[in-house]
Amino acid sequence: MRERDLMLLHYITGIGILVFGSIHVATIFFTYPFQDTIWETTLRFDSIPYAVLPVYRNALLAASLFGLLLCTTVHAMNGLRSIITELVGARKRWVEALLFAVGVFLLVYGTRTILIAHSLV
Amino acid sequence: MLARGVSRSSVIQSLKVMLIPGRYGLERWSYVLQRVSGVVVSLYFIAHVLETGNFVGGITVWSVPDYSFAERAYEETVKLLKNPIFDAGLAVVGFLVALHTINGIRLVLAHFGFSLGRPRRPEPFSPPPSFSSKQRALFWLSISLAVFALLYTLDSLMKVFRP
Repeated sequence: MRERDLMLLHYITGIGILVFGSIHVATIFFTYPFQDTIWETTLRFDSIPYAVLPVYRNALLAASLFGLLLCTTVHAMNGLRSIITELVGARKRWVEALLFAVGVFLLVYGTRTILIAHSLV
Repeated sequence: MLARGVSRSSVIQSLKVMLIPGRYGLERWSYVLQRVSGVVVSLYFIAHVLETGNFVGGITVWSVPDYSFAERAYEETVKLLKNPIFDAGLAVVGFLVALHTINGIRLVLAHFGFSLGRPRRPEPFSPPPSFSSKQRALFWLSISLAVFALLYTLDSLMKVFRP
């Protein structure tokens, strides 16, 4: 891909992270009154709304987590690629191949977690 | 191992130039902060994907496990992570994410020509013009929100500012 297309993709995924990331942050930090820490509320495994498992069980929230995973993976790998390109002074095929492989692994592993947690009863 | 045509010293030199803004202006500081926060948050993201994968049983599990098995795996992961050092690290990540987000929005606006201000002729014997006032305001907004995110995350995890 040309550099200008990659930068456009970087900005689009950045906006995606803003949208999906806001939902992720809101479910963790803004769904409970502040009597307890989030360790006692939203970071519990189950048994209250917006704990870890109920978030994955909700199809819309699980889809938003997948959107966040996808956008963040592309944004992070492309960001690292552009920083390494600045440091080295030119685009290197081995750097791009390595980051692509890491990105594919993160996508597959993260999607597996979302699907398993969504189906866990 | 580096690619052909790239020496280790030239990469170290580039790293020094990238990371030490020295006497340059705010613009250069925002450049450095954007890159440092991007790298740290990317590393956190990789760790976060691996760590959340643990709560359904880790990398060896590829089908839906027992509820009790997953619950036990999650509790063990939480036991490992619930400590002041991890909490402080997460607060720093909150700081960097907020900084990267608002500064990133500033960069996108600048890239598409918004909030750049009118071009000015360089004045002799005075430093070259840097940020426009809107760009400067957005940079300081990113710093302010980042500090707020740091304190808020710390309080959410450790009740620092509540009885």
